[in-house]
Amino acid sequence: MEMITLKDVAKQYGDIKALKNISLEVMKGEVFSVIGPNGSGKTTLLRIMAGIEAPTKGTVIFDGEEVDGKNLVKLRRRGTMVFQKTALFNTTVFGNIAYGLKLRQFPQQEIKERVIDALDIVKLHGYEERLTKSLSGGEQQRVALARALVLETDVLFLDEPTANLDPKSVSVIEETITWINRERNTTVVLATHNMYQAETLGNRTMLIINGEISQIGQSKEIFTLPSTQLADFTRVENIFSGISTMRVEGTPIVTLDNGLKIEAAHGSGGRVTLFIRPEDIILSKDRIVSSARNVFAGQIAGIIDLGPLVKLRVDAGREFVVQITKRSFIEMGLNIDSHVFLTFKASSVHVL
Amino acid sequence: MAVETEIVEIAVRTIGVSGAATLLAALWGIPLGIILGLKRFRGRRVIVGFFNAMMGLPAVALGLLLYLLFSQSGPLGFLHLLYTPLAIVLGQAVLITPITVSFTTSTIEAIDPEIKDLATTLGASETEASMAVLKESIGGVLLAVAASFNRAIAELGVAIMVGGNLRGLTRVLTTSIALETTRAELDLGIALTIILLVIVFAVNASVNMLQSKVRSWLWK
Amino acid sequence: MRNKGIGVWFAVIVVTVLVSVLGTTYFFGVGPFEQRRTKLVVSTTTSLYDTGLLDVIEVQFEEQYVIDVYFISAGTGIAIEYAMRGDADLILVHSPLHELVFLEDGYGVCRKIIAYNFFSIVGFAADPANISGTILTQALTRIVDAGREGEVAWVSRGDNSGTHTKEKSLWSIAGFDWNELRNEDWYMESGLGMGKTLLIADEKMAYTLADIGTYLKYYTDGLVSLEVLIEQVPDMINVYSAIAVNKNYNPQANFDAAITFIKYLASTDGQQLLADYGKITYGRSLFFPAVQLLAQNTDPTLTQWIEDYAYFNGEECPVEYQDDHPELYR
Repeated sequence: MEMITLKDVAKQYGDIKALKNISLEVMKGEVFSVIGPNGSGKTTLLRIMAGIEAPTKGTVIFDGEEVDGKNLVKLRRRGTMVFQKTALFNTTVFGNIAYGLKLRQFPQQEIKERVIDALDIVKLHGYEERLTKSLSGGEQQRVALARALVLETDVLFLDEPTANLDPKSVSVIEETITWINRERNTTVVLATHNMYQAETLGNRTMLIINGEISQIGQSKEIFTLPSTQLADFTRVENIFSGISTMRVEGTPIVTLDNGLKIEAAHGSGGRVTLFIRPEDIILSKDRIVSSARNVFAGQIAGIIDLGPLVKLRVDAGREFVVQITKRSFIEMGLNIDSHVFLTFKASSVHVL
Repeated sequence: MAVETEIVEIAVRTIGVSGAATLLAALWGIPLGIILGLKRFRGRRVIVGFFNAMMGLPAVALGLLLYLLFSQSGPLGFLHLLYTPLAIVLGQAVLITPITVSFTTSTIEAIDPEIKDLATTLGASETEASMAVLKESIGGVLLAVAASFNRAIAELGVAIMVGGNLRGLTRVLTTSIALETTRAELDLGIALTIILLVIVFAVNASVNMLQSKVRSWLWK
Repeated sequence: MRNKGIGVWFAVIVVTVLVSVLGTTYFFGVGPFEQRRTKLVVSTTTSLYDTGLLDVIEVQFEEQYVIDVYFISAGTGIAIEYAMRGDADLILVHSPLHELVFLEDGYGVCRKIIAYNFFSIVGFAADPANISGTILTQALTRIVDAGREGEVAWVSRGDNSGTHTKEKSLWSIAGFDWNELRNEDWYMESGLGMGKTLLIADEKMAYTLADIGTYLKYYTDGLVSLEVLIEQVPDMINVYSAIAVNKNYNPQANFDAAITFIKYLASTDGQQLLADYGKITYGRSLFFPAVQLLAQNTDPTLTQWIEDYAYFNGEECPVEYQDDHPELYR
């Protein structure tokens, strides 16, 4: 059963074609993820599906009803969206979460109960009276999520809900998305450019580039046979290309252009692209003896402070990006030019 | 009359005149600013640009225009408004209207798309979404009012041109400061300046306090 | 939700309207509700108003009459302009040339010479142009010569005030064309009031023409160190007159109150107040009473100076401009 169907939907802002003839179906009860680079039209697509914006041309069918001027407000209420840039009303957490319920004229007692439940789900128990301004970015986004899920709509639209958040909030939000889909059977449309998120959360994934559908299908299929197009724009750091040769054990070893050799657990021979997630790399001051197949010595070339986390650019023949916690960073007494070792397992190397 | 009583009288008159001007400007300026901030219509950009430009209008130029308008031989001479406090009130209200309008418009423009989308997706109708935008804009609107009051109380040109600096009738703080300066009573001028600053700080501090009160009341 | 929102705005608007209307009527309303006292608007020159003399006069006058006097002060040019536009009931100025035009054009009647004093040429004590002790024409010539040598400067009001008018007439007495002088480097025009012009002259160590009232105030308060170099010469006389706005020209004008005020200024009380003003603060009078002097010719030389400078066809106020008040001139 289709929840949302788009037929030849296009959107134009002045001369800019944000979406070009998109046709797709989102099925009831699925998690549909949309990935694509910045400016590819993800947000516009979600806004049109959520009824916030009208398409320049084409048809939107919501649960069998074609959306038009008359039923827009009614149908729009069956879905709700969480924006990438957290927008909160400048009042208490309670005031925010209760807003949509008040519009729907729920009795006060029920509003109260639902708000408390919603806060429990996003692990912000007891935050009702806090002012939204006093919350951290991650907490704010969780309030935004609670405010959306409290409405128990049929569809939940999430536009990059975890961009730039702390890891704890990211995991709470990801768990909540899974929970709401499984327990409430809510249809979820998730825009992201984090491909791991699309892979783990989404039943189906669509890749959108320049306002056009580039690939669409089961997430598993898309990510087991990813195109270089996919790797190009997703926020993949530590992406390298090189020549892969298969070893007798059947595992590939990739020689990068400058001679650096990286061992991988899976992959094929020939010219390949590979990447390693920054959080999968262990950073140490001394060489670690372990089962990990890849160890490189390097020097810190740059430090990016991300609040509780720190990203380091390490020059180890090629530049690697490594993510560690602020606490480790301080305890290890690291600085620009510090000599460090990078260690990662062959299975952390994703060969495309 | 003792100098002290006269100063108190001038200070009270100043607050009354500029306060009334601010309220008048708020009365028509805020709704206008809201319309310009929320609605999109033909000629809107021109109007917004006009008010932005008018913020730079020198008070003395406006004072001259109003003087010619209110003068006995001017088109509105029959109202006998010249050299009355009401003339200053009206003049200052005209002077600060562009500030009230522009600040209100820009605060709503800054808040509008995001909050409107948010309210919409949470189930608000067009009107309800606009209300949400207004609620969120309250801080900026109060700031607009405070800034307008500051301009009104600090201006000299209108007060001197249409008020005439009549002792006991239209003398306000700025005209007194100008007068005492030309009279070489610099100490008195400084004292009046300090009073003016105290009033401005006090009013702005109370607006700040009012802001959070109003906000929580709106959300109740 | 929606109703509540509208209610909030309605309440805000109602309160705003109430407060602004009440606020403005309170301030404006003080007038209409007690209209027993009539209002007299006097347009006067800054050099007179800034001395504070008129505040003292106002207090005494308002004790004696049911008239509220209000002064608007500006340069003589604009002060007369205000009256011509119908925005004042009486002018109190010091520029015979302007006054004559004002009478001739039918704007004013009942001109009465009230007071006189002298303009002074003030300058830096070292007096680089060496004018001290010379006669006026010689002094001005020396200033021009030294100015052209680049040794001294002159600051003019340049604002069409009575003082400025006087200055222009002095240059022509000394044989110079003011229109030429003003284009020369050493000649500056401030376009500001007397006080500011004095401050500029002090800063630039320049000469200027000053009315004695403003000069003494600034000098006594230590704001300028300029010294009086030329004063009390016939051509430097400064005569203050009051002229009522012609009720035929402006029926709205409070003519009766204007005549009352002129009579008060010419009365013994008014003249005494004027003569005493400044004695305590500056040790000398800022203004000299003119009424008795002219009526009884107590000092023929001074009378002659005033007549030469400020009389029209040998009269203080020619009969065609006396309206129905010849008693003013007896």
